[in-house]
Amino acid sequence: MKITDLVKRYPTGTEALRDVSLNIETGEFFGLLGPNGAGKSTLIHCSTGLAQPTSGSIRIFGNDAIDHYEEARLAVGLAPHDLNLDWFLTAEETLDYHGGYFGMPKRERRERTKELLKTFSLTEKRDDRTRTLSGGMKRRLILARALMHRPRLLILDEPTAGVDVELRLELWRYVQQINEEGTTILLTTHYLEEAERLCDRTAFIYDGQIVARGTSSELASEYGVSSLEDAYLELVGRMELSRAKPQEIAP
Amino acid sequence: MRRECNRFFKIKRQTLGAPLLETFLYISVFGAALGTRIDTLQGVDYVVFIIPGLILMAWAINAFSNNSSSILQQKFQRAIDDQLSSPASPLQSLLAFSLGGFLRGMIVAMLTFIAASILVGIPVENVHVLLPALFLVGFFFAQLGVLVGVRAEQFDDVSFAQTFVLQPLIFLGGVFYSASLLPEPFQTLTHFDPVYYMISLVRYGFLGISEVNVPFSLLVLTLATAALFMLNHRLFVRGYKLRA
Repeated sequence: MKITDLVKRYPTGTEALRDVSLNIETGEFFGLLGPNGAGKSTLIHCSTGLAQPTSGSIRIFGNDAIDHYEEARLAVGLAPHDLNLDWFLTAEETLDYHGGYFGMPKRERRERTKELLKTFSLTEKRDDRTRTLSGGMKRRLILARALMHRPRLLILDEPTAGVDVELRLELWRYVQQINEEGTTILLTTHYLEEAERLCDRTAFIYDGQIVARGTSSELASEYGVSSLEDAYLELVGRMELSRAKPQEIAP
Repeated sequence: MRRECNRFFKIKRQTLGAPLLETFLYISVFGAALGTRIDTLQGVDYVVFIIPGLILMAWAINAFSNNSSSILQQKFQRAIDDQLSSPASPLQSLLAFSLGGFLRGMIVAMLTFIAASILVGIPVENVHVLLPALFLVGFFFAQLGVLVGVRAEQFDDVSFAQTFVLQPLIFLGGVFYSASLLPEPFQTLTHFDPVYYMISLVRYGFLGISEVNVPFSLLVLTLATAALFMLNHRLFVRGYKLRA
């Protein structure tokens, strides 16, 4: 995924993204961290067609993702932060229709749906309407939906926000597994531990700009601290919240 | 489109049953009750006279309300993002949304026609006008539903359009009476109601009686439908109120 000079300006004049450039290598597990309103979701929305960039380019596996987006979108699976499931559909239909939107033939959809429902322990709930599912089940269904068409790039927008520890660990294990199988992953999260544990590289986004990028240790070193968490706190100017011992904080 | 049809079949009591009951009540109240006092209109029984308008009304209102409420509901839940982030083109998305309401309207209209045929018997005099007229009316109101659904920000916007714009235009367009019977200035004012021409076309198709120039009305209806479709397509391409 190659983002070049991306700008997103809303009609109100708010500049949500300011000349963002980012390069995510194939097969990488990439994290995007930043406070609320920094531009994480806008970046994801621009990459998936949910927002129209003002200028700049986004290429996904070499394909334009803005104007001639068909190939690019086929390669992307999005698990949004919001539980945006259609209340009228059952769990099974949710996956089946998603496959249809991405041009999967009927037989393939049926097999893939069965496989994903089993993987995410939703088989028994396949005929239940989505609004009747628990929060954890909805979260699993959203991840299953994102994977339905076998995307090569999986975008996870705060996938573990508000989920219990058990489900969080379960989701971590699953996304690590699919990353090992070759899927590129872009993850946004507020949980620094999550980014530290899962991501090969991480970028900090702040006020619509990418202000730093690298491995956790590179970022810590760039900010002159000992952990990704402290690097983040340094970025947002809240070092007084650091849990590091005083001697661990570089002068 | 399968999703749209699935939706209205899942709530068929509301989407198919209620409109049918409504039409049956119109036939009973206006046809049976008023019909005993109004003998004939333009040479046909009053109850037969109103049925073409009822069929049009069933198609129009159902096509409109299906599309407007379905789009708004999906926007509200953000479930529409799943479709917007797919490789589907704006044209494909627009057609899928449009045809969902179109089909619901068509099913209700056909059931109304069958019920009316059984209850009172209704002729089909000009099928070559009736079919294009009904299809154009259905597609026009399906497009109007899409337009209102895309623009709407709350459910009140949809019900406002239906209650304060659509239904008055349909009722005052001459479903239950002939505009030629109205005193001035209401007779002239009726000619500014586009639904009046649609009802006249459909009535001509069924009963062979018309108060308007049929070829010209068909042409204008075709152009209006095409214009609305192009406007909606433009909104989908721009992502107006759909994408940020």
